[in-house]
Order: sequence, then structure tokens, then C-alpha cells
Amino acid sequence: MNNRIKEYRARFNLTQKDLAKKVNVRRETIVFLEKNKYNPSLKLAHDIARVFDTKIEEIFLFE
Amino acid sequence: MKKAVVIFIVAALVLATVGLWIFFASETFKLIDIANFGIIFLLVAFAVLIGYKRLSGAKRGEPAEDELSKKVMRKTSSLSFYISLYLWLAIMFFSDKLNYETHTIIGIGILGMAVVFAVCWLVINFTGIKNE
Repeated sequence: MNNRIKEYRARFNLTQKDLAKKVNVRRETIVFLEKNKYNPSLKLAHDIARVFDTKIEEIFLFE
Repeated sequence: MKKAVVIFIVAALVLATVGLWIFFASETFKLIDIANFGIIFLLVAFAVLIGYKRLSGAKRGEPAEDELSKKVMRKTSSLSFYISLYLWLAIMFFSDKLNYETHTIIGIGILGMAVVFAVCWLVINFTGIKNE
């Protein structure tokens, strides 16, 4: 599973720290997500999608 | 924040115990004792690193634990337990061939388990976790 978190973060002008704070996780978790080293839970995926005001499948690309 | 402080307290207690051990030791230290000190200091440094990371995270307003850190800890625990079983098997096999006292062998085993845990944590943190 790939994701477009980095792209959306740049679009919304958010730092990793900002996004981490908004979805209540540690910054390392966002780093791991962006490097595709971690697949998030459904709740975290939902929270991230909500921050970017879009659908989960727009951010997380299932292959 | 509390968990980070607990890590520092445990690290300080371990160092104090090693200090007492060195201070009250009646015999001169053997090579294995010096190796034990080295490993203990490495493990304490590792614990302090984790504590520092948690403390700095707490200062930034981040949660002490989140779903990734919990998952890393869970996977580290299971993997290190699995490897430790083989470690004890190896210790049992070699214990007849080595001329160490029982308490020394148990100490080596416990230190070995701590090292296995630290290495597993580092490997899992480096490689990441994917829900395969």
C-alpha cells in the first residue's frame, strides 16, 4: 500500500509535526507512514483523510 | 512523561547497583566481569536514549505512546521472547563446557535477553512494520 501523505501535506502547508499533532500520534509515525514502512490502522487513516478533507482512498493507494 | 521518568529512575538504579558491585567487590575483576559491565552500560545508554526520545516528544506535546510505538513494542516483545528461548537452549548446551558458576550463567542469560530485546527493537524500528 502506497500513500500520498507527503504530497497532501505539502499542499496543505503542514509539517510532519503539525500533522502528527492533528491526528494525535508521534512525529515518527508520520515519518514511517511517508516512507511506506508502516500501514496505519483504519482509524488513523480516517483521521489523516479528515485532516486533508478527502477520502481515505485518495490518500492511501491500495495495489 | 511518567514513563520517561520511570526509565531514567530504572537506569539510575541499575548504575547504582553496578557501582555497589564494583565498590564492594573483594576479588579483582575477570574478563567476563568487565564484559558484563560493558554490556550493562550499553543497555543503560539504550534506555536513556529511549527515555530522552519520550521526554522530548512529551515536551513537544506528542503522546508518549501511539499505535506504531505500541505495535513496535508488541512485535519486539514476541520476537525477543522467541529468540531468547534459543539463547537459553544454547546456554544450556554450553554450560557443561564452560567453567562458570550457576549465578554467573544465569546473569549472562539475563543480560543476553536484554541485549536480544534491544537489538530486536532497533531492527524493527529500522525496518518498520507492515501488516503483511
